[in-house]
Amino acid sequence: MEKLVQTLKEEIIEALNLVEMVPEDINEEAPLFVDGLGLDSIDALELTVLLEKKYGIKIKTAEEGKKILYSVKSMADCIIAGGKAWD
Amino acid sequence: MKIFINGQSAISPQETFTGNSLPDNPVNYSANGFIKCIEPSVREYIDPMTARRMSRIIRFGVCSAIQCLRNADAGNPGAIITGTGLGCLDDTEKFLRTMHNNEEKLLNPTPFIQSTHNTLSSAIAIIIGCNSYNSTYVHRGGSFENALTDAILLLRENSAENVLVGGVDELTDTSFNITSRLGFWKREPVESLRLLDYKGRGSLAGEGMTFFLLSNVKNERSFAVTEMPELFHKPADAAASEEKIRSFISRTCQEGSIDLVLMGLNGDISNDEIYHNLSGRLFSGIPRAYYKHLCGEYDTSSAFAMFIAAEIIRNQTVPRVMQLDGGPAGKIRNVLIYNHQRNNIHSLMLLSGC
Repeated sequence: MEKLVQTLKEEIIEALNLVEMVPEDINEEAPLFVDGLGLDSIDALELTVLLEKKYGIKIKTAEEGKKILYSVKSMADCIIAGGKAWD
Repeated sequence: MKIFINGQSAISPQETFTGNSLPDNPVNYSANGFIKCIEPSVREYIDPMTARRMSRIIRFGVCSAIQCLRNADAGNPGAIITGTGLGCLDDTEKFLRTMHNNEEKLLNPTPFIQSTHNTLSSAIAIIIGCNSYNSTYVHRGGSFENALTDAILLLRENSAENVLVGGVDELTDTSFNITSRLGFWKREPVESLRLLDYKGRGSLAGEGMTFFLLSNVKNERSFAVTEMPELFHKPADAAASEEKIRSFISRTCQEGSIDLVLMGLNGDISNDEIYHNLSGRLFSGIPRAYYKHLCGEYDTSSAFAMFIAAEIIRNQTVPRVMQLDGGPAGKIRNVLIYNHQRNNIHSLMLLSGC
């Protein structure tokens, strides 16, 4: 889990080009959108593409997306529960 | 109605953005076919969270536009108009490459959103909070001139008092490689400042982001006046070009009043031959200068030419490195800019003192 969280943080920084940040700046429990990292709807699309491309996770509805993309931890939980690309 | 230049800014391969607006000691590149812009300090103009999604042309374009407004000491303009030959190439390439590699699935949204030609005009408007007229012209080598024409029309109609108008194009590795195969660029390494010494085919690829704040009201910042530009396409021969140029000159200024001709010589012999032929017919006795060894060849390089011409009028000097046959002896009032790209689109602009 710890390794996955670290990898996810690195991938998020790269995918969203958060040039000012390092993985340690991201609290895995904190919300990614609005209050936490301050991400927006385009970032949500980028993270959706990231999850599908790297981990085979398809987000089917907006409601599901809100839960899965809530934080780094919720993304990691989702991958562990149903991801195809993670052992 | 006179149209005044109240501010300008240029990000180019020269230090035009960092205070050296008229390059006395220009950067001499050992170039393998291209030269690229000197990077500005983006942080001073755009919040990093906003800039992270922007490609190079957008970041640099926004910096240049904001600096132009600062130089003019102007608030929000009544219109934002840009001209670009190829638009946001880097994002377009990213998007197409992903589409190809991923078999049209799982496409990242950011490069797609930012790949449209009008992204820069919109990004400037969003960042400075300007809800006025916003437009982008895409007409290859005449893109900037079309943007300038629209700006002048708006000002003459009094639809706006100030218009931010610019010409932007970026150079990417992919576009350079493709156009190299078409024989557009020199194959051997060249010293950029000696571009005209390499007699042969091909030029030097370049890029730039240049903005002007034009106004129909003269103020203490006004330093030059621009006339309506003129474009003509694929002239049949030198006589046809000569007629167009004579007609433009007679429309915009008095006969014999041109003090300098700034030409788009680019080191390609077939391209430059046209300028040399016309010089004998039209510009005998008028000092000539050139500029593409400073910025390279690109669709909106005429915007850089206008920037240089305005600085020449403001400073009343032509840097030695730009002179073709000596500088003007007296006061520099009228500068004619004549540019063409591969004999397709020819453009004429006239700048005067105010």
